[in-house]
Amino acid sequence: MTNFDELLKKIQNEEIKQTPKWQFDLMNISSIAFFLLFVAIGAISFSIILFAIQQTDFELLSHMGHSKLEAFLSILPFIWLFLLVAFVLGSIYALYKSKKGYKFTFTKLIGFSVGLSVLFGTMFFIGGGAGWFENAFALRAGFYESIQNKKEKIWQNPDKGNIAGYIQNVNGHIIELKDFDGKLWEIDIDTAFVPPSVFLEKDEKIKVTGIIISDNKFNAEGLYPWGGKGMRNKMRRKMKGQRQKKE
Amino acid sequence: MYISEEICKSLDDKEIVSRSLEDMGYFRCIYLRYEKSLKRYIFKISNFSNDEAEDVLQNAFLNIWKNLNSYDKSMKLSSFIYRIVHNETISRWRKTNADHNLKEAIMNSPSEEESEEKINKSKYIQNILNKMPQKYKEILVLKFLENMDYEEISNILKIPEGTVATRINRAKKSFVKISKI
Repeated sequence: MTNFDELLKKIQNEEIKQTPKWQFDLMNISSIAFFLLFVAIGAISFSIILFAIQQTDFELLSHMGHSKLEAFLSILPFIWLFLLVAFVLGSIYALYKSKKGYKFTFTKLIGFSVGLSVLFGTMFFIGGGAGWFENAFALRAGFYESIQNKKEKIWQNPDKGNIAGYIQNVNGHIIELKDFDGKLWEIDIDTAFVPPSVFLEKDEKIKVTGIIISDNKFNAEGLYPWGGKGMRNKMRRKMKGQRQKKE
Repeated sequence: MYISEEICKSLDDKEIVSRSLEDMGYFRCIYLRYEKSLKRYIFKISNFSNDEAEDVLQNAFLNIWKNLNSYDKSMKLSSFIYRIVHNETISRWRKTNADHNLKEAIMNSPSEEESEEKINKSKYIQNILNKMPQKYKEILVLKFLENMDYEEISNILKIPEGTVATRINRAKKSFVKISKI
C-alpha cells in the first residue's frame, strides 16, 4: 500500500470533507468588510476630533489662563480618541488578515489604515458631517456630553469673564444677550473689539469676553462669533453685500 | 477513479487542482508530483526522523486536500503546497521540540547515492543550518536548496517580498558567522 493509498483510505474511512469554497470566499470578504468598517469608524472619530479642534477657542481660552492643550482636552470627548486608536488598530489587523494582507509591510499596513481614516475623516469634516454626527450621537447616547454642551459650559462663566448666548436686541453700544440658561444680559460693547465675523444681528450666537459689572450687566472687551456651521455662509453673504454696495 | 502517472504528467498544476476538486483520484497527481521534494524540505528545516517526516507529510497532504478550495490560482501551486507543509512542520516541530541527531537526520534523508565528498559537504551545511535561528534556516533552505524566487518564498512564509530580501541577507551573514566558529 502506497502512502497515497493510505491517505485516500483515511479520507474515505473518516469521511473527511473538503472545506467548501464559499467559506473561504466569506472569510476573504469579511476581512475586507471589517477593514472598511473599521476605517469608516476611524474616519468618523478623526472627523469629530477635527471638529473638537475647530470648536476649541485656543487663543481666547489661553488668554483666560488655560494652556492650549488644557483648552483642547477640556473640550475633547476622549471616547473619540479611544475609538480612533482602537479602530485604526482593528483596520490594520483586518487588512493584515485579508487574503493578500501578508504582502504589505508593517509601514504600509499602518500607512493605508491611518491614511484612509485621515482622508475620509477630513472629507467628512469638511462636508459638515462631523458636527451633525456628534450631535446626533449625543442625543441618542445619554452618557455622552456633546462638544457643544462642553463649550457652552466653558462660556457660561460670567464671573470668570466669559459669557455667550443669542443676541436679542442691539441698541447703540448696548446689546441684549440671552445666555444658555435663558437669563438676559445687558452688554456694553462701546470699547469692545468687534471682528468683521460678528454681524450684531438678532438671534446671532456669539461669545463675549469682559468683566461682570452687576447681576445682569457685563462690560465687553471682545465679541466673537460662536463658530461652526453657517458661519462661513454668513461671511460670504456679508462680503457679497459689501461688494454690491461698492458697485 | 485511478489516475495513471502518464495522465498526471500530461496535466499542469492548475488543471490538476481543477480536476482534483471534481474527482479525488486526480489528487494522486499532486501527491506524486510533490511528495519527494516536500519530504526533503521537511528534513531540511526540521531534522525529523523518517517516520516523523512521513507523518507530517501525510497530515500536510490531508490539509492540502481539505483546503484545496482556498487555492488562489494567481500563485504557483508549489507555493500553496509548501506553505501548508511548512506550517505543519513548524507546528509539529514546536510541539515535539525534538532534539534530533544530525547524523540520523542526514542518513534518513531521501537523497540519491551521493559521493563521500557530497555527503560531507551536505553534513557541513546541515550542521550550520541547525545552529541557525529557525527563521533564517527556513529562508535559506527555500532560497538556496529549493531554488525558489522571492515571490514564492513570500507566499509560502506569508511575509512581504521586501522582508524576504532582508531576511535572506541577514541569514547569509548569520550563516557565514556560524561557519567561522
